[in-house]
Amino acid sequence: MDENKLKADALVVGGGIAGMQSALDLADQGYQVILVEKEPSIGGKMIMLSKVFPTLDCASCITTPKMSAVANNKNIRILSYSEIQSIQKNGSGFIANVLKKPRFVVEETCTGCRLCEYACPVDIPNPFDLNIGAIRAVRVPFSTAVPQIAVLDMDNCILCGKCARACPVDSIDFLQTEKEVEIEVDTLIIATGFETTPIDAKKEYGNGKLHNVIDGLIMERLLAPTGPYARVIRPGDGKEPESIAYVQCAGSRDETLGVPYCSRICCMYAIKQAMLIAGSLPMADITIYYMDIRTFGKGYEQFYQNAQAMGIEFVKGKVAKISEDENQNPVVRVELIDENSQIIERTHDMIVLSVGMIPKYNPSQVYGVNVDEFGFVKSPTPNLSSTKTNQPGIFATGASTGPMDIVDSINSASAAASSAASYLESVRNGK
Amino acid sequence: MSYSELSQKEKTQVLKKLREEHAETVERTQALVKKQNTIRKDIRKALADESKTVPEIAVIIDQPTHEVLWHVSAMKLYDLVAEDGMKDYVDVLYKLVEEKKK
Repeated sequence: MDENKLKADALVVGGGIAGMQSALDLADQGYQVILVEKEPSIGGKMIMLSKVFPTLDCASCITTPKMSAVANNKNIRILSYSEIQSIQKNGSGFIANVLKKPRFVVEETCTGCRLCEYACPVDIPNPFDLNIGAIRAVRVPFSTAVPQIAVLDMDNCILCGKCARACPVDSIDFLQTEKEVEIEVDTLIIATGFETTPIDAKKEYGNGKLHNVIDGLIMERLLAPTGPYARVIRPGDGKEPESIAYVQCAGSRDETLGVPYCSRICCMYAIKQAMLIAGSLPMADITIYYMDIRTFGKGYEQFYQNAQAMGIEFVKGKVAKISEDENQNPVVRVELIDENSQIIERTHDMIVLSVGMIPKYNPSQVYGVNVDEFGFVKSPTPNLSSTKTNQPGIFATGASTGPMDIVDSINSASAAASSAASYLESVRNGK
Repeated sequence: MSYSELSQKEKTQVLKKLREEHAETVERTQALVKKQNTIRKDIRKALADESKTVPEIAVIIDQPTHEVLWHVSAMKLYDLVAEDGMKDYVDVLYKLVEEKKK
């Protein structure tokens, strides 16, 4: 079989929780699926999380089996470290041109033993830990990565050859180049996910320069057992914080950032993290500065009440500014909404900005799908079939269509798979 | 032909040629590695006698605390330092791990 020309029933773009669920649902119905992921591993944002709300289940314990199920499903082929370059209509189907980036590691022989990683002399900021931890220039992306194959970062390589000498199966290949792959499919699902609003977006909140002001995703990594420090400490100086505050709506409901919408997940992830911190640092004071608490899902309001009962302080107020004292302690200037708009200053050891969700990728040019004013995929029938796009045969799911939590992403992914399966059958039956 | 199929002499030549092609990256990264090695050496020296916290190491080696923490966490990840309890209930103590003879 020509490895540069592939054929399948469906192409799923994005290997996060939504993309994986769509791929599995289609594969379980017998359809051949190709899953394209631009990172070296599937798993998306969810594999980076510590636990999920409102059940406080371990995120990795849910995501890892899902990743494994995708990898071991005979009807799914993963193209990792690959990006869609263009899509052309091909009758009722599509031809996708995919660029497979070089790993500089032979995928077929690499066993993921990490001996290359241990031999590499170059430490670089670890993208999986949002750059607060370190990793080597050649590495397996993270412990549960799928595929469990190393990747060499040529932009940070001194070409010393130590990795090649350490590899027991001669998998390092400095001569590898990018490959173009053509994929012929009948239907396509966009599951390109989200990005968080940048931590330096709001200049008043330290401009991303205060080491002890972090965002919610970094706190997820600090809380995760596989995180950069394997404990919650301040990135500024390694001290265990005794007072942690959350600033809500730090990247959502804010016209000045061009993000006027509510990101839907921030209240819940802040409450979840506060509860987890209360568990790991029982002596710490935790404060959440909020405008409104929005607990829209099943069991979410009870979760919020449990957090209050645990002693987490909820302060209705709008944080105007975050500065830093001489000990790297963040100082918040906050207007207390329920106390005659009184303005106070409070010092904490660490601040977590509850940043919002923005689309990771604008698919309008490549896929010809309509997007809304914020760049999320827009369905022509949002109330009847929210995963449909204006392009017949192309469906969209998860956070590529708008802010949503994990539960809703999985539901949306199954809906997209169902719509894609219906489309496949209708095309094949000539309807 | 892949790199592994080359003879040792050819591998050396290929790496040399690639280093020339990526001269800017190699030069920048070598400078980074050199700086990292100097800081790591200083951290090892600072930890030679007894366990220390990140702020204590930072004072001894005259580096910002956040940078020291980054290096210490990198060394911890690859088993060169380990945690050794807490100081004053807020600061993690780090100690050197004896390197295994290769």
